[in-house]
Amino acid sequence: MIKQAILEAIGNLLASRQRSLLALIGIMVGAGAVIAMLTVGAIAREETARQFRAMGTDILLIRADSDQGLGNLPLAETEALPAQIRGLSLVAPFMLGGGQISAEGQSRSTSFLGVTESFAPVARVRLAAGRFISRHDRFEPFAVVGSALAEQLSTPFNRIRVGSNIRVGRYVFTVIGVLEPSLPSPMMPADVNDSLMVSIPNGRRIMSTPQLAWGVARAAPDADPDQVARAIGTALEPSMREGRVQVQSARALLAGLASQMRLFTLLLGAVGAIALVLGGVGVMNIMLVSVQERRREIGVRLAIGATRWNIQSLFLTEAAVLSLAGGAFGVLLGLAGAWGFAQMSGWAFVVSATAIPLGAGVSIATGLFFGFYPAVMASRLDPIVALRTE
Amino acid sequence: MLDLIDITKSFRTGPAETVVLNDLSLHVGEREFCSIMGGSGSGKSTLMNIIGLLDRPTRGQYRIAGEDVLAAPPDKQSSLRNRLIGFVFQSFFLLPRLNAWRNAALPLMYRGMPEAEAKRKACAMLERVGLADRMEHMPAMLSGGQKQRVAIARALVGQPKVLLADEPTGALDPKVAQEIMDLFLEVNRELGVLVLIITHDPHIAAQCPRQLRLGAGRIAQDLRVAA
Ligand SMILES: Nc1ncnc2c1ncn2[C@@H]1O[C@H](COP(=O)(O)OP(=O)(O)OP(=O)(O)O)[C@@H](O)[C@H]1O
Ligand SMILES: [Mg+2]
Repeated sequence: MIKQAILEAIGNLLASRQRSLLALIGIMVGAGAVIAMLTVGAIAREETARQFRAMGTDILLIRADSDQGLGNLPLAETEALPAQIRGLSLVAPFMLGGGQISAEGQSRSTSFLGVTESFAPVARVRLAAGRFISRHDRFEPFAVVGSALAEQLSTPFNRIRVGSNIRVGRYVFTVIGVLEPSLPSPMMPADVNDSLMVSIPNGRRIMSTPQLAWGVARAAPDADPDQVARAIGTALEPSMREGRVQVQSARALLAGLASQMRLFTLLLGAVGAIALVLGGVGVMNIMLVSVQERRREIGVRLAIGATRWNIQSLFLTEAAVLSLAGGAFGVLLGLAGAWGFAQMSGWAFVVSATAIPLGAGVSIATGLFFGFYPAVMASRLDPIVALRTE
Repeated sequence: MLDLIDITKSFRTGPAETVVLNDLSLHVGEREFCSIMGGSGSGKSTLMNIIGLLDRPTRGQYRIAGEDVLAAPPDKQSSLRNRLIGFVFQSFFLLPRLNAWRNAALPLMYRGMPEAEAKRKACAMLERVGLADRMEHMPAMLSGGQKQRVAIARALVGQPKVLLADEPTGALDPKVAQEIMDLFLEVNRELGVLVLIITHDPHIAAQCPRQLRLGAGRIAQDLRVAA
């Protein structure tokens, strides 16, 4: 009987193809929007989680501010912090700037990082070749290049490798190390993959605003990063002649991102809900027209013994079949959209486990909800009136 | 079998009230074959709708086989229609998207009968009405007479006690009308089903053992013809 009812519903829907198609598209767009939003949300969540896993949640970012903008960190005091603060394992102050560089006729602009030896372990960068800047490199013209930068400066005939020369303004640096690619860290003010790293004294030479404004640090595994962040601020305050120090923990950033993401998901959810309501109204409209057109059929069915419930379920089945089909296409559409988004953003495509059942469930619920009124209308028809309609 | 006692039916159209049936009483026994004639607007269809439990009288009593059917709730009336009454309409009223046997099987499906059994019974009934070779045809592919045969099969498939036909030959040419009339006489004789048929055709009415005429909201004439 149920199989028969579904087959009949499909037959009836096929008989008024154009109308069914319109309702189908409405539901499809609605369900598609919901699915796309859930999947894009999952993709973005997965991506940030991946970035934070790679960089570690124990990372801290230090920034000196002054009234004019960025401030200056006291180098010696900053480097002495791990000895003073329990729970702080490593710290690496660095300078950030940018400008034009060239190698073998290839020229492009990039970020400059003036770093100390401890930058590599703190920022968790690994070397593909050569070595990192060391404490002994002061004014020696040595540079370490990020992987993406190395790739971009290379030509098929001349790859950037240890020993290559890179020109920055008046200075020529010799490459002593090339980094392995790493995930861009949401904490860092610059992408290490796309940076040229030199010693701090060399950094002062090539940067237009040679301020030691930044630092990265690592909290010990058993320490509370937020507490360590506060301790760093207090410890540095007295030695800053002017300006302040801001220390941000990955955890705080993560919390901020999470609430942003929630807002974004909510917004998309609202868009999806509106689309679904529009689709549902479409279903209702189409079902109402269908009830109107099939009044005589309803009358005949009532005359030969259909109950009110039989008539109601006849139309509810149609609404359910319509919205299930719309939901199925919508899931495909939504996934395709999210896949396109993943392709464009270069993020990994993941399907949230809840997306498909939720999308399908929501579209059927919408169909049934909006199909309910027309179905009740149909079942309340007076058989004689229904039979009399031509 | 059918007992109508002091049935009044009036319609309220605006301020005026039209009385269509006025204290009408009628008894029809089992296996009877009656024609109902009367001028247009005399209330024949209204009476048949009341007998068929599609409409309720304004006043009066109605019993089928002694059971007070007006007191039954709507879903009980649905089931009474399904089990006791078969309808045949002037313009057939087949469901256009179902083939012949599915149309004929519909009352059984509403009883919750398994499809295979319903199909078997529907096909047997279609054979009975002379449509053995049209089981899978869609209504649009059938002639008027064939459509009416499917409708009769649908009305009879549930083995009802009463067959109600509102101008069943009105849309058919005289030769086909006579064939359908012969079919009614045959099922009345062989299945023992009570037949009530509304007609404007004196030739059709003349073949009925009992001939009723409606007038002034009552049975104006009740003629029994010896077979
Ligand atoms: N729902 C209604 N509202 C108002 N008046 C109605 C309604 N149904 C029927 N009538 C009136 O009741 C009267 C009888 O109608 P009915 O259909 O029973 O006539 P009939 O004898 O079947 O006529 P015909 O031979 O033309 O089919 C008519 O005057 C009609 O206008
Ligand atoms: Mg009539």
